[in-house]
Amino acid sequence: MSDRDITVPRASGRAVPPIAISETSTLVNPTGSWKYILPRYEDRVAPCNAACPIGIDIEGYMVLIGHGRLEEACDLLVSENPMPAITGRVCHHPCEDGCNRASIDQPVSIHAVERRLGDMILAAPPPPVPDRRRSETVAVIGSGPAGLGCAFFLTRLGYGVTVFEAAAAAGGMLRLGIPEYRLPRAILDRQIERLEAAGIEIRTSVRIGTDVPWRDLDRFDAVFVAPGAHLDKDSRIEGADATEGIRPGLEFLKAVNAGERPDLGDHVVVVGGGNTAMDCARSALRLGAAVTVVYRRTPVEMPAIPQEVKEARTEGVGFVFLAAPTAATTRNGRLLGIECQRMELGPPDESGRRRPVPMDEGRFSVMADTVLTAIGEDCDLSFLPDAVRTSWGLLEVDALGESTVAPVFAGGDAVDQPRSVADALGAGKRAAIGIDHYLRERAGEEPGPVPLDEVRLGGSGNVSVMRYAGGSDPIPRESPVNEVVTWEQMNAHHFRTVPRHEDHFHSAIDVRAAFGEVNFGLTRREAVEEAERCLNCGVCNRCELCLIFCPDMAITRREDGGFEVDMRYCKGCGLCAAECPRGAIVMTREGL
Amino acid sequence: MKKVMIGNHAVSWGALRSRVEVVSAYPITPQTQVVEALSDMVANGSLEARYIKVESEHSAMAACIGASIAGTRTFTATSAQGLALMHELLHWAAGGRLPVVMADINRAMAPGWTIWTDQNDSLSQRDTGWIQLYCETNQEVFDTTIQSFKLAEAVNLPVMLVLDAFFLSHTSEPVDVTEQEDVDRFLPRREAVFKMDTADPRAFGALVRPDAYMEMRWHQQEAMQEARDVFRRVEDDWEALTGRRYGPVEAYRTEGADLLLVTSGTITSTARHVVDLRRAAGEAVGLIKVKMFRPFPTGELRALLGGVDRVAVLDRNISPGRGGIFAEEIRSALYDVPPEDRPILFGYVLGLGGRDVTPAVIDDIIDNTRMKSRPEREDLWVGVEL
Amino acid sequence: MSQTIIRDRIPHEELLASGHLACPGCAAPIAMKLVLKALGPDTMVVLPACCWSIIAGPWPQSSLRVPLFHTAFETGAAVASGIKAGLEARGDSETTVISWAGDGGTFDIGLQALSGAAERNEDIIYFCYDNEAYMNTGIQRSSATPWGAWTTTTPAIDPEHQPKKDIMAIMAAHRIPYAATASVAYPVDLVEKVEKARTIRGMRFIHILAPCPPGWKTENDETIELARMAVESRVFPLMEVENGGAWRFTADHPGGPVEPYIRRQARFKHLTDDQVAHIQREVDARWEILTNRVRYGT
Repeated sequence: MSDRDITVPRASGRAVPPIAISETSTLVNPTGSWKYILPRYEDRVAPCNAACPIGIDIEGYMVLIGHGRLEEACDLLVSENPMPAITGRVCHHPCEDGCNRASIDQPVSIHAVERRLGDMILAAPPPPVPDRRRSETVAVIGSGPAGLGCAFFLTRLGYGVTVFEAAAAAGGMLRLGIPEYRLPRAILDRQIERLEAAGIEIRTSVRIGTDVPWRDLDRFDAVFVAPGAHLDKDSRIEGADATEGIRPGLEFLKAVNAGERPDLGDHVVVVGGGNTAMDCARSALRLGAAVTVVYRRTPVEMPAIPQEVKEARTEGVGFVFLAAPTAATTRNGRLLGIECQRMELGPPDESGRRRPVPMDEGRFSVMADTVLTAIGEDCDLSFLPDAVRTSWGLLEVDALGESTVAPVFAGGDAVDQPRSVADALGAGKRAAIGIDHYLRERAGEEPGPVPLDEVRLGGSGNVSVMRYAGGSDPIPRESPVNEVVTWEQMNAHHFRTVPRHEDHFHSAIDVRAAFGEVNFGLTRREAVEEAERCLNCGVCNRCELCLIFCPDMAITRREDGGFEVDMRYCKGCGLCAAECPRGAIVMTREGL
Repeated sequence: MKKVMIGNHAVSWGALRSRVEVVSAYPITPQTQVVEALSDMVANGSLEARYIKVESEHSAMAACIGASIAGTRTFTATSAQGLALMHELLHWAAGGRLPVVMADINRAMAPGWTIWTDQNDSLSQRDTGWIQLYCETNQEVFDTTIQSFKLAEAVNLPVMLVLDAFFLSHTSEPVDVTEQEDVDRFLPRREAVFKMDTADPRAFGALVRPDAYMEMRWHQQEAMQEARDVFRRVEDDWEALTGRRYGPVEAYRTEGADLLLVTSGTITSTARHVVDLRRAAGEAVGLIKVKMFRPFPTGELRALLGGVDRVAVLDRNISPGRGGIFAEEIRSALYDVPPEDRPILFGYVLGLGGRDVTPAVIDDIIDNTRMKSRPEREDLWVGVEL
Repeated sequence: MSQTIIRDRIPHEELLASGHLACPGCAAPIAMKLVLKALGPDTMVVLPACCWSIIAGPWPQSSLRVPLFHTAFETGAAVASGIKAGLEARGDSETTVISWAGDGGTFDIGLQALSGAAERNEDIIYFCYDNEAYMNTGIQRSSATPWGAWTTTTPAIDPEHQPKKDIMAIMAAHRIPYAATASVAYPVDLVEKVEKARTIRGMRFIHILAPCPPGWKTENDETIELARMAVESRVFPLMEVENGGAWRFTADHPGGPVEPYIRRQARFKHLTDDQVAHIQREVDARWEILTNRVRYGT
């Protein structure tokens, strides 16, 4: 039995006050223990970056422009793309197809922003020549975008590079194939000068296999093969050989781009639906002809850049779809016109496009003084040793451009990939990384396998040299994850519609008279405003909505500009992730 | 300064002299003159106070609670239904240890409608934690109003001073109104122990768990105990200033009495008269006036009633199912008196709903108390006609 | 810029502490945090019974860094009136005194005291954070519960019969200097209204819709989305009215079907398509009334 008197208040040291007056804050409650899921800041990859064949950090330079840091934006752009003034003009910009703004209003005019930055870069003094940190040298065959791209990145990685170009001037298809009205030669020349200033040696009028034997390349430690595709495919038009009126389109373009102004007659038919066809049509238009494009399928299947098709139409090019030329109509070797077969779309072929099949009783003829065929080009790989394996006329390469024979790498139109400037640049970059890795391995540096998952932007084919070389990102990224953010992960409610600035064009009346540049792009102010339209998909831009909406004050600003989630108080409600406009916060059970 | 005034105005004057800072009230008969006079005083500037003319007694007490936690001296007055409506907030003021002072003009509870006096309204609030002081005269009303603030602010408990409807509230008597400078010396400006302060932001009245609620109630009870001593000192000071003193309990002509009447409120004055007549006739009858109901003056009553033969408690109230409330409280207080000293206690219920308690009624009660050997029931209803 | 960056339009000072006891995803602490940011530290809070009585923390805690008085359910406006009078009696006319009540404490049990304070034009700001039922006691209907809603006292087989009480019209009828609706999904609008209210003297009333995941039967991370949908669908338009007559919309209300808003909440899951159509008609009719108020002042 206790002898303590329970009716006498005991001194407990608790000192309960006479009223319920607070003495502490609720910070004593670890309410974070309630959660079963927690937020994590994870910057993801914007779809534009993932869609860019070159591997440019588009979203990154948009952020920098938005912050008024234009010079850093230029540096970031050039670090992944040696020729933005060119790609800004001629790239088919798949980045814009990926742009999430399309779900709100229209995609950001990425190409125009890139072009404006590119022109700013060209106007600035060239950067210092990179240090020659490596003793090895690399030969590059072809000075198109693949070759120049590869050379540029190899130079930056510290190698000595010599580019061999068969033509009299560098540029490859940029110079031979792309008309001046799309890519002024002054821009091209300045861009190439700038690359030379960056330490690249370009030897023009040297055709490997003819002027220099393949074996002479043994003095280089590696070779990058990017000769382009210059052989026109056979048009298979009956009677084509019997007339000079049916000409390969690329040959015509090369002539015009070299300054010739051939007489095509009044009526020109261009056969094909790709960019070469559009370039032929619009060039022919500028030479005074009435131009009709004949294409086997419908507008939807045309491989040409839609903008190019649109501009061709605006300028007055006529189109006949679902028609295939079959035979030439000639008189005394002079072309009068071509017979065409009406087509209809059948089941899809291996490319996924519906295959055109002839319709019964569907023949007609089109008047033509000249027919330009633009139905594709093949590569001349005859200069290569037989051991370098090809397939369907293209070089077989691995993910980093390495052919079946070391130390030969390849890229551009000579390998199996989409034939675009951007894809060529991307191939050049991949091969530069492949070559660097190969030479390091050969030098016994044991670099280990290239972490492709890490150097790719979003896991598609492109790569980032900066990620490979470990350069510092001007935009701090929070726990970056190499996954493309989806529109569903984002919160559209926080964005307003802002109409896109469209490029400024010469009027159609002007263009027919000249080969001057058609598209003036955007003004600097407009380009900056376009950059500000960027949603920064997947990447925290410190908008602080997470902090504003957190019911638990569990998110605080870090000194470096990021945010800290105090897990002692985060209840895991997920409002931060749900309201993050750009999908840069994920809810996860990891780390609970 | 002597003035002839009704009891309600004695309350108003008491509040004026106490320099109340916030008044919040709602009209109810028979309280209205209290707040009418205060309205005039605030309007004419003689009382520098905020007067919140609320839409209910409930809000009147709520506003007083707010003003009090803001650190000011606050006052209200009400009656009957109004007091009942305040009930919840009476707990809030007391549990929050807020020294609000309120005058309750004792009025019987409806239905049926009644405006006349009895004590059921205030006694129904017995357990809300308010100090209750019952007054007999307008002078006592004035004095008690001022004392209530001093007492309330010393022990951080609210005080209800109580006066009978009409018999005091509307009846004019001369009142010696203490001069302001004297009252100021007696009752300085309130310095709140607990108050809302942005420089020291605290939360008041949050959820209290079982491990601390009881301690807070214990503190409240301790304050009630302390109030007994504090009231004595308050009266000491007031007596030094004015020469007037009432005591929690007053013994009137109790010397050698074998029968004591116990009263509160204005019945006391009638009883004094009857006692005087009986004493003049040689009868050993005395009177105990209970002023302080909470805290209950248990010790004083034991001392005064122990050893007396018979005690007649006059209750102008009824706890249905039991009896007169003062009688029950006193009966309980006397339980610990040694059996041989324990008086026979007669609990009379009378005067409900304002029924007149005349000298003749009290005479009858004295006779009835002497006539019976023991009361036949706990509650002896006086004058009921069926 | 396509996203309006609001971080610098929301004051940075944090007067609400972590560790409070709101359910995950609760809108009520978001509302309080934003309101206190707009009011600043020279503020006193009166808290009648509501979810916030718990959220504020049990003794000896407080989640607020300003003084807080817990009070009885129906007394918010009256206690605030008293505090304001007390402060003024002691010469402080600057401190902002607010009452912070739920819908029960405002629409129902506290309406009388609120009306009294409004009619007296007390110099206080009365906030109602409205989660559309008695959530703290376990989801019982209030007069703020919308038509058709399930609560524990309006079971799905016989859900809420009455439309939500038009508290704004009631407050406007008092012709108080300022009354407004606000939403946690529109933080700048909310903060600006509170900042505006702070500079006005006399009675001010701000009604904030506060979605409640357990009471509305929604996910914790849907709170802001639902608050936004309520505004966009015109279920809870953002408005302000000065002196009872000058009504104004303060946001875009594109309208569109209420159905997605209703169907997101399982408290409405028993409703048939016809019943949802009825809600739509009610919302449309009420919108007509509101636009007339804006147009004609009544």
